[in-house]
Amino acid sequence: MKKLIAAAAIALALPSAGIAAEGERVTVRGEAIDTWCYFSGVMGGPEAVVGSAHHTCALWCSAGGIPVGLLGEDGQVYMVLKIGDDTNSNGGDTQLHIASHTITADGMLYKRDGINYLVVAEVTADDDIVNVNHDDIGVTPSFAIPKNALKSE
Amino acid sequence: MRYLIAIAAIAASPLAAQDFSEGSTAKSWNLFGEIPALFEAKVVDPLCELTGNCPDNCGNGTRQLALLRAADDVMVMPLKNNQPAFTGAANELQPYCGQQVEVDGLMIEDDFLGATNVYLVQKIRAAGTEEWVKANKWTKDWAAAHPEAKGKGPWFRRDPRVKAAIAAEGYLGLGGDETQFITEWLQ
Repeated sequence: MKKLIAAAAIALALPSAGIAAEGERVTVRGEAIDTWCYFSGVMGGPEAVVGSAHHTCALWCSAGGIPVGLLGEDGQVYMVLKIGDDTNSNGGDTQLHIASHTITADGMLYKRDGINYLVVAEVTADDDIVNVNHDDIGVTPSFAIPKNALKSE
Repeated sequence: MRYLIAIAAIAASPLAAQDFSEGSTAKSWNLFGEIPALFEAKVVDPLCELTGNCPDNCGNGTRQLALLRAADDVMVMPLKNNQPAFTGAANELQPYCGQQVEVDGLMIEDDFLGATNVYLVQKIRAAGTEEWVKANKWTKDWAAAHPEAKGKGPWFRRDPRVKAAIAAEGYLGLGGDETQFITEWLQ
C-alpha cells in the first residue's frame, strides 16, 4: 500500500504532459500540406485541402508562415520543422517549393502532446504533385484562381 | 485504492484534456473543432525544445514557435494568427520569444482529422501586463518586407514568390496549359 501511495504521489508530481520524447529515425512518404486548412476544416473535408485542387492555397499558406506538414501514407500529419540545413519553417523557400508535392523524407520523428514533429535530414525523392484531383474537387478555395487569370497571362 | 490508481493514471496521462475556455473572449471562426482557450504559456522554439538546436532569439523570426502551457506543460502548436488571410502565428509570437505570455484564441480538437493541441491565436499579452495585442501584424510585416509588391488586393495575389511559382507551374501546380480548365472553372 505504501508503495502504491508513493507511486501515485510520483505520478501526481510529474507534469501531466510534455515530457519530450526521444527522437526516432523514420522515413515518411507523404504530401506537403498546409496544416491549418487540413486540421481546421475551414475549407471542408480533408479531400478538399490536398492535391492540385488546393495547390494555390498551399502556396499561400506556406508563404504566409502556416506550418507545413507531411500528410503521410499512414494518414498521420507530420509537422515539418526543418529540411536538411534549412531551419526556416516560417515561410521559407525550401518548404514553399514542395507545396503539394509528394516527397519521401528521411529524418527524426519527435512525438509530443499528440503532435508528430519531423526534422527532415534529407528529401530522398520528390515526386512533384501526385494527387491530381482538381477535375473531381474543383479548386479550393474557389477564388484561388482569380477571375482575370487568363487575361493576366 | 482504485481511486488512487485512477488519479495517478489521469495525472500521468500525456493527453489529459483540460478546459481553458474560462474567461476567454475568443471569437468563433465557426470551425467544427474549435474550443475557446485562454491560457498562460512560455513562447518557445519547438525545434529547440525537441532537439536542442537553439539559436538566439528563437531564430529571429525564421522558425515556427510554440506555446509551452503553464498549467500542464503541454506544447501547443499555433498554426494561425487572427487574420483571415492565409497567415501563420510565428510572426505574432516572435516578440515574446522566451517570455511568459497569456494568449486567447481557439484550440482545434478534431479526432477525425487527428487535430489536437493546435491553436489559432487571436490576442497576446506579456504575463503580468494588462494590454492585449491583437495577433494581426503578419500583413504589416509582409508589406514592410515587400515594398516592391505594393498595390491593390490581398498580399497573396501580390507576393513575388507565390506569383513566380504560379507563373512557373500554374494555379494547379502541374505545369502545362491550364486554359481549358480555367475557362470552364470561371464560367
